[in-house]
Amino acid sequence: MTVPPKTTDPAAGDDLDLLFAAAAQAPLLPSDALLARVLADAVTHQPPAAAPRPALRAAAARRPGFWTRLAAAVGGAGVLAGLGSAAMAGVMIGFAEPAALSMVTGGIYETTLDAVDLVPSFDPFLTEG
Amino acid sequence: MALDLAAVSDEALMVLYANGDPAAARTLTLRLTPRILGYAARILGGDRAEAEDVAQEAMLRLWRVAPDWRQDEARVSTWAYRVVTNLCTDRLRRRVRRPATALDDAPEVASGAAGAVAGLIEADRMAALQTALSALPDRQRQAVVLRHIEGMSNPEIAAIMDLGVEAVESLTARGKRSLAALLSGQREALGYEDSE
Repeated sequence: MTVPPKTTDPAAGDDLDLLFAAAAQAPLLPSDALLARVLADAVTHQPPAAAPRPALRAAAARRPGFWTRLAAAVGGAGVLAGLGSAAMAGVMIGFAEPAALSMVTGGIYETTLDAVDLVPSFDPFLTEG
Repeated sequence: MALDLAAVSDEALMVLYANGDPAAARTLTLRLTPRILGYAARILGGDRAEAEDVAQEAMLRLWRVAPDWRQDEARVSTWAYRVVTNLCTDRLRRRVRRPATALDDAPEVASGAAGAVAGLIEADRMAALQTALSALPDRQRQAVVLRHIEGMSNPEIAAIMDLGVEAVESLTARGKRSLAALLSGQREALGYEDSE
């Protein structure tokens, strides 16, 4: 606060400052009726609650996509990528039938793998030891 | 999440109100109404009923302007005081024009009876201040009340009264000098003689 201007009577000026201070600390309290009228006006003129902004509303409404949900189901995008790679490798091995794989299967079946016996009539591992 | 509105600025409350928050309306009402009511009453010579009408009208204008309120535009309190000042000025102009009050014509605040002087209470001092304020020209009264009772800064008063800062300083200085002169003969009646 700035220094109050000098008055013709310094003592009177001091008294005035005391009066001002007392007045500032003695606010005029509004009646309940006035507050009720003011609040009623506020309610009357208050805009309705604002709708969410379009961007927020669209984001809230958008469901996660197929791949997002699938990745979440298997444990994440990395796991999903690994599963995809393994599946692709299996398909390629099935088509290409590489020689290295024939050596392995030939050692067991003594022939190339032309067909897979899904219900084998005997298990070669049982004959060992 | 519940927001503690007591710590929220008036300007933010205006935005909340415009967004439909009912608690913001109540907080603004309780925060601003007492201030502008007291200011209006002092400017209008202590007429409480008229001051209540002015306060309600000012708050009504506040609610109406809320949807268009820009937070960086002005302080809500400054805007409200400005509206109240204009409303009071209009009402004062409509009143029957009173003759200019000379210092010698300043109304007596209290009787000079010694017993009554000793028994004066704070309400009497406030009445004396109000009587002296009412004797000031309207603009001086507005400036003095805003500066010394409402605690506004000179730039804020300049914005409220649509004046320059220097004009505000001049008004408050002259107003305070006049008040001191009006009250100087009543120091005893105001109970300050015994306190020194």
